[in-house]
Amino acid sequence: MVNEERLRHMIRVAEFDAAEGKRCKPMMQYARKDYVSLKLLGSFVTGTFCYGLLLVLWGLYSVDDLLARLNQMDLRDALMSFILSYVLFLLMYLGVTYIVFNVKYTVGRRKVKKYYASLKKVNQLYDREERLRMPENKDWE
Amino acid sequence: MTTILEWKERAIHFYGRNEVYLTPIVKFIVALVAFTIINDRIGYMERISSMPVALVLALLCSVLSVNVMIVLATLLILLDLYALSLEVCLVAILLFLLIYLVYFRFAPRHGYDVLLTPVLFHLNIPYVMPVGMGLLRGAYSVFALVCGSVVYFFLDGVHENAAVLGGSVETAEEEAVSMIAVVLNQLVGNREMYLVTGMMCATLLIVHVIRRMSIENSWQIAIVSGLLFQTIGLIAGYMLLGIEGRTIGVLIGNVAAGVISFFLQFLFFNLDYSRTERLQFEDDEYYYYVKAVPKAAVAGANKQVKRFGGRDERKERLTKQQFAEEMDIDEDLLD
Repeated sequence: MVNEERLRHMIRVAEFDAAEGKRCKPMMQYARKDYVSLKLLGSFVTGTFCYGLLLVLWGLYSVDDLLARLNQMDLRDALMSFILSYVLFLLMYLGVTYIVFNVKYTVGRRKVKKYYASLKKVNQLYDREERLRMPENKDWE
Repeated sequence: MTTILEWKERAIHFYGRNEVYLTPIVKFIVALVAFTIINDRIGYMERISSMPVALVLALLCSVLSVNVMIVLATLLILLDLYALSLEVCLVAILLFLLIYLVYFRFAPRHGYDVLLTPVLFHLNIPYVMPVGMGLLRGAYSVFALVCGSVVYFFLDGVHENAAVLGGSVETAEEEAVSMIAVVLNQLVGNREMYLVTGMMCATLLIVHVIRRMSIENSWQIAIVSGLLFQTIGLIAGYMLLGIEGRTIGVLIGNVAAGVISFFLQFLFFNLDYSRTERLQFEDDEYYYYVKAVPKAAVAGANKQVKRFGGRDERKERLTKQQFAEEMDIDEDLLD
């Protein structure tokens, strides 16, 4: 006979495996700090790429102005403002990444905890059934 | 009221039992509306801007993920803009690359939000998006809102200036550059875009924060506060920027948003609309083929009191033993 209580927990475990399991895998593998650091590293690359794209768009937008001022432009000042804006942009981008992925880790970890609680319960119920079925146990009959 | 609640119960059961058919139908409708609006607003490439093409693409989208729908809509837009002008297409490619980087980094599972935001802008009820997303989604869905909003204002600018942008195909290099500047000015110089996007983001965050508060009627308070903030903020903003003729639109749009938001609250408050699951698993004795249909269950507030601090997180490393202890399970379960 199928144990209904065990089945309910098995369904929860299978649901997690099918839907959330893949997304929550990093929350099982990494500590918060490692997970967020990994995401910050990824964001450093995408953030730099984003800044590059913004720079290209800005260059296209103000190409007339840039060409007109090219002769009077102080290259050192221009380079400094370019670096400063890059650092500011990246700080903002990484700050947002830090907040977003910290929240995602907290939520994911909560789901993982529920998953393991169900898994533990399934194991306990199997053990219990196993014990009840042993020949010396007369209650089973 | 009882009759309405009975209808609601029936709708939930109907959805639970027929989810496998209803989800593709919903996807088909959303895709068809989005593609029709694209064709209607910027359908410059006649070959792809027809109803049969939209129908075929929508059919395709009904069985694929929502992110594929977004990619197809992007391709459709780029082809239309290419037919209008190469410079506009170039700017659109750069802009979409930027948007994709933000969207796929921070809110990759909010495809419907990105898609519905420009669609609802077109239908003049965009104000429902921040309230709806604040109620049903997380705070970081704000990125999806920004992406959708920027796409709408960019395409709207292109539509408004189509005559100028598509005027001369054989342009000299200098004219091409100035045309790019004209296209970009639709975004950079669009003060209305900054105002509307900023107000909508703030509204989303306000609704989200209030909805999560442990106060009575938090959903209703969140909806009303969000809509009031949005209405007053937008009207004041338009007055400050000197943009006229928007007040009535804002008022009607927000009233419509209120009606839809309360309908959303009626549908989703305390109810589990999670998908019907078809699961398969086995143990030593049985194979289990389970179809789990969600019931209309009232979900209690999920409060967890957790202490932070006290432990030096800088030294934290996750070992199997620590993880097992934290999860209160045997280490063997992790093998």
